[in-house]
Amino acid sequence: MNVEPEAATALPQQRPTVLRVAFPSRRRPARRALVGLVVLAVLAAAPALKSGYVLQLATDILSFVAMACSWNLISGFTGYVSFGQVTFFGLGAYTTALIVLHTPIPWYLAIPIAVALAGVAALLLGAVMLRLRGIMFALGMLGLARILTVVIANWSFAGGAVGLTLPAELTPIAVYAGTWAAALFAVGVSAFYLHSRFGLSAMAVRDDEAAAVALGVDTRRVKILTFVLSALAPAAVGGLVAWNRSFIDPASAFDPTMDLQLVVFTLFGGIGTLWGPLLGTIVLMLIGEQLWAYVPDLQLALYGGLVIVVVLAFPGGIVGLANRFGWLHRRPILAPHAFPSPIVPPLPPQPVPAGDVILEVRDLTVRFSGIVALDGLSFSVRRGESVAILGANGAGKTTMFNTVTGFVMPSEGAILYAGQPVDGLVSFQRARHGIARTFQIPRLMISMTVWENVLLAGANGRLSRHAVEQTAWALHITGLAPMWLDPVDRLSPGQQRRLELARALALGPTLLLLDEVMAGMTRDEQEEIRDVLRRLPEFGVAAVAGIEHVISAIADISDRMIVLDHGRKIAEGVPADVLRDPVVIQSYLGDIG
Amino acid sequence: MLVAQILINGILLGGMYILLAQGLNLVFGVMGVVNLAHGAIITVAGLFTFWFTTRTQQNPLLLLPVVFLAMLAIGAVLQRFLLEPLAGAGRKSELLSLMITFGLSYVLVEIGLNVFGSQYVSLPYLQTTWSVGGLTVNEALIAAGVLGATISGLLQIWLHHTGSGKSLIATSQNRIGAITCGIDVSRMRCIAFALGSSLAAAAGVLLIMVMPLAAQTADSLTILAFVVVAMGGLGDYAGAALAALLLGIAQSAVGYYVGGDAESVVPYLLFIVFMILRPQGLGRAAQPQ
Amino acid sequence: MQAPQSCAVPAALMVDAVVAGIGSMTLLHGISLHVEAQAVTLLLGANGAGKTTLIRTLAGLIAPRAGRIMLFGEPIGGLPPHLIARAGVGHVPSGRELFPRMTVADHLTLGGRLCSAERRAAQRERVLELFPAVAERLRQQAGTLSGGEQQMVSIARALMTDPRVLLLDEPSAGLAPKVVQAVFQTLPKLQSLGVSVLLAEQSLAFGFSVAKRAYIIRDGRIVLSGTPAELSADASVVKAYLGA
Repeated sequence: MNVEPEAATALPQQRPTVLRVAFPSRRRPARRALVGLVVLAVLAAAPALKSGYVLQLATDILSFVAMACSWNLISGFTGYVSFGQVTFFGLGAYTTALIVLHTPIPWYLAIPIAVALAGVAALLLGAVMLRLRGIMFALGMLGLARILTVVIANWSFAGGAVGLTLPAELTPIAVYAGTWAAALFAVGVSAFYLHSRFGLSAMAVRDDEAAAVALGVDTRRVKILTFVLSALAPAAVGGLVAWNRSFIDPASAFDPTMDLQLVVFTLFGGIGTLWGPLLGTIVLMLIGEQLWAYVPDLQLALYGGLVIVVVLAFPGGIVGLANRFGWLHRRPILAPHAFPSPIVPPLPPQPVPAGDVILEVRDLTVRFSGIVALDGLSFSVRRGESVAILGANGAGKTTMFNTVTGFVMPSEGAILYAGQPVDGLVSFQRARHGIARTFQIPRLMISMTVWENVLLAGANGRLSRHAVEQTAWALHITGLAPMWLDPVDRLSPGQQRRLELARALALGPTLLLLDEVMAGMTRDEQEEIRDVLRRLPEFGVAAVAGIEHVISAIADISDRMIVLDHGRKIAEGVPADVLRDPVVIQSYLGDIG
Repeated sequence: MLVAQILINGILLGGMYILLAQGLNLVFGVMGVVNLAHGAIITVAGLFTFWFTTRTQQNPLLLLPVVFLAMLAIGAVLQRFLLEPLAGAGRKSELLSLMITFGLSYVLVEIGLNVFGSQYVSLPYLQTTWSVGGLTVNEALIAAGVLGATISGLLQIWLHHTGSGKSLIATSQNRIGAITCGIDVSRMRCIAFALGSSLAAAAGVLLIMVMPLAAQTADSLTILAFVVVAMGGLGDYAGAALAALLLGIAQSAVGYYVGGDAESVVPYLLFIVFMILRPQGLGRAAQPQ
Repeated sequence: MQAPQSCAVPAALMVDAVVAGIGSMTLLHGISLHVEAQAVTLLLGANGAGKTTLIRTLAGLIAPRAGRIMLFGEPIGGLPPHLIARAGVGHVPSGRELFPRMTVADHLTLGGRLCSAERRAAQRERVLELFPAVAERLRQQAGTLSGGEQQMVSIARALMTDPRVLLLDEPSAGLAPKVVQAVFQTLPKLQSLGVSVLLAEQSLAFGFSVAKRAYIIRDGRIVLSGTPAELSADASVVKAYLGA
């Protein structure tokens, strides 16, 4: 168990990614478009084949494509695995049926209404359930489908356990067209995720939700919106299928094996990718059609077994395998064809606070699990100042940063930013108001390129064009431009810290909080960083506070030094005085010999 | 008297639920994995008990040790081949393991469906009712509740008073600390899963005497066990015991006042309520690392 | 604890060109050092220099990708950590890593599980003698102890494994100076019991007085080594490498 508050940063653990998702690359976009066209053409051609069987098969495939792509939105892109998407399918089916049976509203309005209602339901559910940890969320959704099954089975208005029979009003072609539209929508939304800043935020939630928050991402909004989007296509499909079969009952509307199928299809195809759910569904359903004739009683076992095999042997699915040959990579988001040149200097940070004192900490006390991490700490950072924060491990330095950025709630005391108390602002809002931080151990998004990691911060509150400029600038001044499209785990520890700095700078901060930015850097790298730090006022950064152990690297560029020990300030002053203060030497530097 | 009746039924039910949940807690504590196949193991064990007893007309309780030991072996094999490959990945394996146990549960359910069919079955064994001071209790429920609580109690004793038990607890509280003591953490994981599965199987043997089971209801049992564990605080045995009793009593009460079907919704509703109001559970234990 | 040998003693721990890392990152780039038998060897370095990575590699938590690790002449590199513990390498991890809801007595029992019952009892006596504070708190849950007490329990637990070499990873972290003094006062006693110690520290102060030899690690490489006398004579060099 870790007693050191320093290490127990009270930040939520880095979210476990389901797996390393297919890494972006820029190659052969034309090939991908071709594949897509072929697939769509084939599916569109189905009615031409005039066979009722083929039409039904195509409808089924399209239904599952729509649902699998939707499942992929919340479970693959955003990392919140849900085992209860069938809930929305069932809701769509029943709402449509009830509307048509009991109101004069025609079917072509009933289905959109059902979809809208499912969206509202997802909004309410999401607000509650997305606060839960991964496992809890997954199982919470599972439980929901069960509850609905029981509720409806006992509700005679909804047909009870016996079910509802619907008049046959839709032709199979109409249902086919409807599912085609739903599939197109789901695939379109997935494509949107992979080409937009919003999608980038979703992937950031998957990779490291806490770090995303520190970069100004409104993770709650991203999660809920994604959840709502993931509910729409299933609801539409549910409504259409209700017509197709002319009958629904709780067992078939909330059939749990449908969730299994969504999981299998998406995993097999490649979770968290655009083509994964599409390819996985098509391939497995086509194989399945042939297979079930021979082994009708083994469907569930084979699907279950396939999940196991895929997770153990090739967690990236078909797309993951294709990636190894350079196919089906996703394109880095908003990345121009070449690194932008010339570099446009950054816009001033927004909003620009007035006042002389940028950060003021008053009597800050933080207690958790019986430890006093901070004890009545008071200090301030003025406009134009660069303050170094020293102290041995466990002195409370990172806890102080966590409190200022909103990750830890103070037990007592106040924090004022540009004269205003920060209490009303949650973490991501503080980031958007200009407080940026780096992490002691770099928390980088591993499924994104260097470019995208910085773009995540750069995109905050800016138009795409400016976001791209801001990102390019941040990478340029930290010397990371040459590796802008590399995966982050190919960077050296020093480069990773520079990336952390680039991200923080891309936010356009007023107050920059650096946590051990010099650690693990070579002399040359340190020089580069020192250069950047000297120029910070040019970039609109009004004040910097840096936790540091490599004192020699920052002693001459700091205006003031503050030394913490066991949560208290034991010294404050110009570096020359502080570094000679016997109290400081005793507690931190120690005496030699 | 009605209240007392509800209470006694609820407590006995809770006693069985304790056993149901113990296995899941063990696996989660040591491995950080929620075994989604838990309910499937319970169900298949229960169905097997039914099948065996109707064929041989023997006392189903005799199967308890047999099923327990068999599941120890099967569980160990499953862990070795399916879950251990993922274990090295640390916390990242949490969701991947979830997927694997998800897949496994369906494999088991299918086996159950093929071998035992999809009918609900239950064992009409120990069906006499005892009347004590105005209260009537079904003998099967007494047996299940008492045995369930006893087996759980024995497990707790083993965990807290034997070397290997303590090693298991130590591993669940701090993996690195356990390694420094020379504990083979990989073996601990195998033991935890094997033991967790056999506890689930034992629960199945008892459960079939009390309520009807069918292959397709495996999920609901997983959720039931998970609700007890989550309500008690993941990894906390005392909390889970308390939650099990609460759930038993709540179900018993709802069953009397509202009716049979509503009873099955109680676990889910309680889960959702708890997740909203008190996500950390009833117990005091912190989350395992 | 082994009796000292009279003839040329192989180094308690010999590390030869060890390369190790996590994932695709290489964190140790060919580390070579000796831990002398029955002496304290100091490993100094700033945050992120590679101290903990090296200690973990020696303890078996990280598998080395190249190089050799020899314990009294027997190769242990690449063995799983529980076997390395059995071979006689005790590990006191940074952050202590205690079992929060188990008692101090349980910690000692678990540490001693590798020994026979009599050895364990004898070892327990020795350990409790070394750490009276631990002896006073046997019934307490580890999570309720203070930082210094926890550090002592962590060392005591590792000692219960009857190690020939003890790896101490930043035992002073987060502790008040007085407490650190108390902890470090036990180090010479360990020596007299025949235990060889590798002490990883960030701070200059504490290890110097007890160490026979010191290595300075930076960015995954050993950049300087010598006796404390040699190094403190050139205090500015040391400071430069530590950045302090």
